[in-house]
Amino acid sequence: MIVFEHVGKRYGGRSEALADINFRVGRGEMLFLTGHSGAGKSSLLRLIMRLEKPSRGRVLVAGHDLDRFHLSQIPYYRRQIGVVFQDHQLLFDRSVFANVALPLEIQGVEPRESARRVRAALDKVGLLYRETALPIELSSGERQRIGIARAVVNKPSLLLADEPTGNLDPQLSADIMRLFEDFNRIGTTVMVASHDLALITRLRHRVLRLREGRLVGDEEAA
Amino acid sequence: MTRRTTSPEGQRPARRGARASQVGLESRTRAWLRHHRAMCLDSARRLAKRPLSSLLTMLAIAIALVLPSGLWLALDSARLLDAELDESATVTVYLDTRLDESATMDVAARLRDQAPVAGARLVTAAEGLAEFQQGVGLKDALASLEDNPLPAAVVVTPADTDPDAVRVLASNLEAVDGVDEARVDLAWLERLRRLAELGQRLTLALAGLFGLGVLLVVGNTIRLAVESRRQEIEVVTLIGATHAFVRRPFLYSGAWYGLGGGVLAIVLLTLGGHWLSAPVTALAESYGAHFTLPRLGLGGSVLLCFCSTLLGWLGAWLAVGRHLADIKPR
Repeated sequence: MIVFEHVGKRYGGRSEALADINFRVGRGEMLFLTGHSGAGKSSLLRLIMRLEKPSRGRVLVAGHDLDRFHLSQIPYYRRQIGVVFQDHQLLFDRSVFANVALPLEIQGVEPRESARRVRAALDKVGLLYRETALPIELSSGERQRIGIARAVVNKPSLLLADEPTGNLDPQLSADIMRLFEDFNRIGTTVMVASHDLALITRLRHRVLRLREGRLVGDEEAA
Repeated sequence: MTRRTTSPEGQRPARRGARASQVGLESRTRAWLRHHRAMCLDSARRLAKRPLSSLLTMLAIAIALVLPSGLWLALDSARLLDAELDESATVTVYLDTRLDESATMDVAARLRDQAPVAGARLVTAAEGLAEFQQGVGLKDALASLEDNPLPAAVVVTPADTDPDAVRVLASNLEAVDGVDEARVDLAWLERLRRLAELGQRLTLALAGLFGLGVLLVVGNTIRLAVESRRQEIEVVTLIGATHAFVRRPFLYSGAWYGLGGGVLAIVLLTLGGHWLSAPVTALAESYGAHFTLPRLGLGGSVLLCFCSTLLGWLGAWLAVGRHLADIKPR
């Protein structure tokens, strides 16, 4: 599903954010990406989302060389990826329902079909009863779950999460991780960047370890 | 990825591809239209949510539109006046004073037969004197003269009122036997034409400048709107929105601003027309002319609204294009 070949990324004249990264992720796999802040986790995810191009090497996702994409193709590529952000990136001027419906609106899904899928996604994260609420009325755990619902509403084949549990207490974090495992169980490839080592080791999935832009560990699932 | 197929398509695998792509295109077109409608309404709603600032922007556009379109109207009416004046372009041919009455008639007939002459009216010396007395009010002074000093004249109306053609005609007429002098007073007509041309160019230049002004006003307003919706733009870009999708609401906002500005400009022009019409008519009447201020009319109003909407849309397009490049998701 994801292939990194000798990938390096340098921002401006500073030292390398990523250096000679090599790994492969199979379809339907679930894995963690870990390391201290500044180790290059976010940079790596940004490369997969094609927000940036690598300075060296190449990145392939679902068989596509991301470097070869024409600018106009990128939006269509991004629709195949669900992304969960640490700060959830919800829009505060519209309801929970409208937030989750956003990817479907962008893809031009028929309203009735869209409503059905939004409710299914909200039900999955256990927040169907809050569909008319505004994000401001929700707790941070709830907001993160809405962010997840939005990421999965168009059934992406790849789900990326950047520190999804960064601001949550251990109990809520475990709940969120369980959600990711559920999506992985139905065939979605899931990649979660997190520095919460205690949680990661408990979950027994493959772990990619980054340190100062280099891949220093690739531990298979126990 | 798995895709659920609903009904009969599954049973006809051979035709499935064609069917699917047809359905795909149809539903994509529907989705596209749906989004256009939604954004059209949504941008109108956003404008209505802040009525005062929207109105001020529209007013700024309207004011920029009023001057060139008002000038254009004035010029249009000047053209009407010009056409009327064309008819009064005549050549006055003074005949030799030594001709007797029958010779005078002869010469007048010959003048009438000249090629590009549309009409010729003989003014005998006696008639000329009578007109002169009436017009100038020198009755007593003229009455004291023993002889009529005035020549007989023929007022010739040229078929072609082009200044050069009239001048050629005059020199031809002068060559006719028994003609003393052919006089054309074209200078003022030409001056008027030049003035009209100047006005036309001035209007075009002003229209260009003020059109640019409209672009800037809309552009600046849209720039602020883009800035205030920056987070939303970042998020939708992250989850796969195309540039067209992001641009669409702003383009509609620009078009609404333009349309509102156009309508306000029509209102201003109509009010201004009413306000000026009485003194203009009175002024024209004092010159013995019948002249009323022209109105924009339905066609003109539609054209003005169309142009202003287009300008608004264009301004938004330029502004969004310029600022979307700056907005990159973090």
